Amino acid sequence: MDGFIELGRFLFEQLLNWKFYIVGAYPKGPLGGLALNIILAVITIFIGFFIAVLFGLGRTSARKYIHYPCSAYIDTVRSTPLLMILFWFYFLLPVAGFRLPVLWSAVVALSVYASAYMAEIVRAGFLAVPKGQMEAALSSGMSRLQALMNIILPQAFRMMIPSFVSFFNSHFKNTSVVYIVGIVELINSGIIISQRQPNRIFAVYIFMGLLFWIVCYTLSYFSRKLEKKLGILDYESYKPEIYREDLVLVPLPKAVKRLMVTQK
Amino acid sequence: MELTLLIAVITTITSLLIGTVLAIARLSRFKILNVPGRVYVETARNIPGLFWLLFFYFVFPQFLPFGLGEKLNAYPGYSVIAGIIGLTFDNSAYVSDIVRTGIMGVPKGHIEAAVSTGLNRIQQIRHIILPEAFRLVMPPLGTRMIHNFKNSSLCMVIAAPELTWAIQQVESITFRGLEVTLLATFFYVFIAFLSSRFIIYLEKRMRIDISSITQMRT
Repeated sequence: MDGFIELGRFLFEQLLNWKFYIVGAYPKGPLGGLALNIILAVITIFIGFFIAVLFGLGRTSARKYIHYPCSAYIDTVRSTPLLMILFWFYFLLPVAGFRLPVLWSAVVALSVYASAYMAEIVRAGFLAVPKGQMEAALSSGMSRLQALMNIILPQAFRMMIPSFVSFFNSHFKNTSVVYIVGIVELINSGIIISQRQPNRIFAVYIFMGLLFWIVCYTLSYFSRKLEKKLGILDYESYKPEIYREDLVLVPLPKAVKRLMVTQK
Repeated sequence: MELTLLIAVITTITSLLIGTVLAIARLSRFKILNVPGRVYVETARNIPGLFWLLFFYFVFPQFLPFGLGEKLNAYPGYSVIAGIIGLTFDNSAYVSDIVRTGIMGVPKGHIEAAVSTGLNRIQQIRHIILPEAFRLVMPPLGTRMIHNFKNSSLCMVIAAPELTWAIQQVESITFRGLEVTLLATFFYVFIAFLSSRFIIYLEKRMRIDISSITQMRT
């Protein structure tokens, strides 16, 4: 019982450090803490989104010289750990002649990472729009670009919103990785405090975890609500192909099955 | 490098086991099983994996009784163990969510059929529900496992001597950051590619079973 009271006291002590957890050394030094996490996540998602639309649509292209580079980019980034991408830009930017603060390499790395994942979301949303929409738009005299901008993408984006929100949630958690290159975000500020008060380490970690939990839980709560509201728009066609084939109960000849798999 | 693979394989197996048990617990009617499962998943999912690694390395040993914590801190291999525990803790929450959706996706008729053939609850789970659920969720589960393999690179923060930590050491001696990073990236991409091929292969093999079931039904 005594232990609990002591823990409560330690936790209360951490409340006095709240400023360092939330904004770091902000008014006198660089911005840090939880605010930096949130800002990093928002900025990189925003930059990543534009790259993602390019690559995601490029991957759906029928022209091979567009399709293959886009697929290669997406698959390579997706199968590399975020830490590796971070090191890439951490080492690459100085070699390329940019003398920028470390924060910029983190921003670039996170946006590259986000762009690959979001490109897959964009592609799935794009493919989920029924084919008839494109045909109808083309036959009413629109050019392909017009049809894409006015008909296909608005519908596709509406379907993507829940996935984007849940990706934002996981991306927010990923921003904590940048602590490795020495940026003072939430985890690093927690570590700094715990090094100053080594006997309070447990309280520090609980406080840190609590902050993360509050932000992520609110996010996931809203994303669940959104999913209920929007996600059912056209859920059947948003499922990956694997499920769609299972819906066919009559056994199909192999040739037909092959057609269904290749037809994207 | 072997350690990276070892950590990935061990965490895959342990998180599959724990995740499956959790998924079943979360779907049960009894609150004693249901509520702790939910609390665990919500906690583990809403806090980054990096936090859990640091937590299990620095904070967890302090709680162990009988001076076990000091012994663990002195033991040089503890960083690897803490890495495995932390990654499993993080990953099994995701796995349990995936498996849970799989179990919910098993057609009701199959479970009714199992009941009417006289299987008890455990037999139903073992022979009917789990095999079908795993087949349904094979693609997301595979993605999660590749994700877990990539997350094993985070173990470098607690100085577990795996690939990323090793390239950091090489970099600090030779100052050739780009070259070593390139090498490690190749390794990660190669392993991820191989495992994704393996998952697609598994999926194809398993799908034959399902189509034969549907054939029987028609």
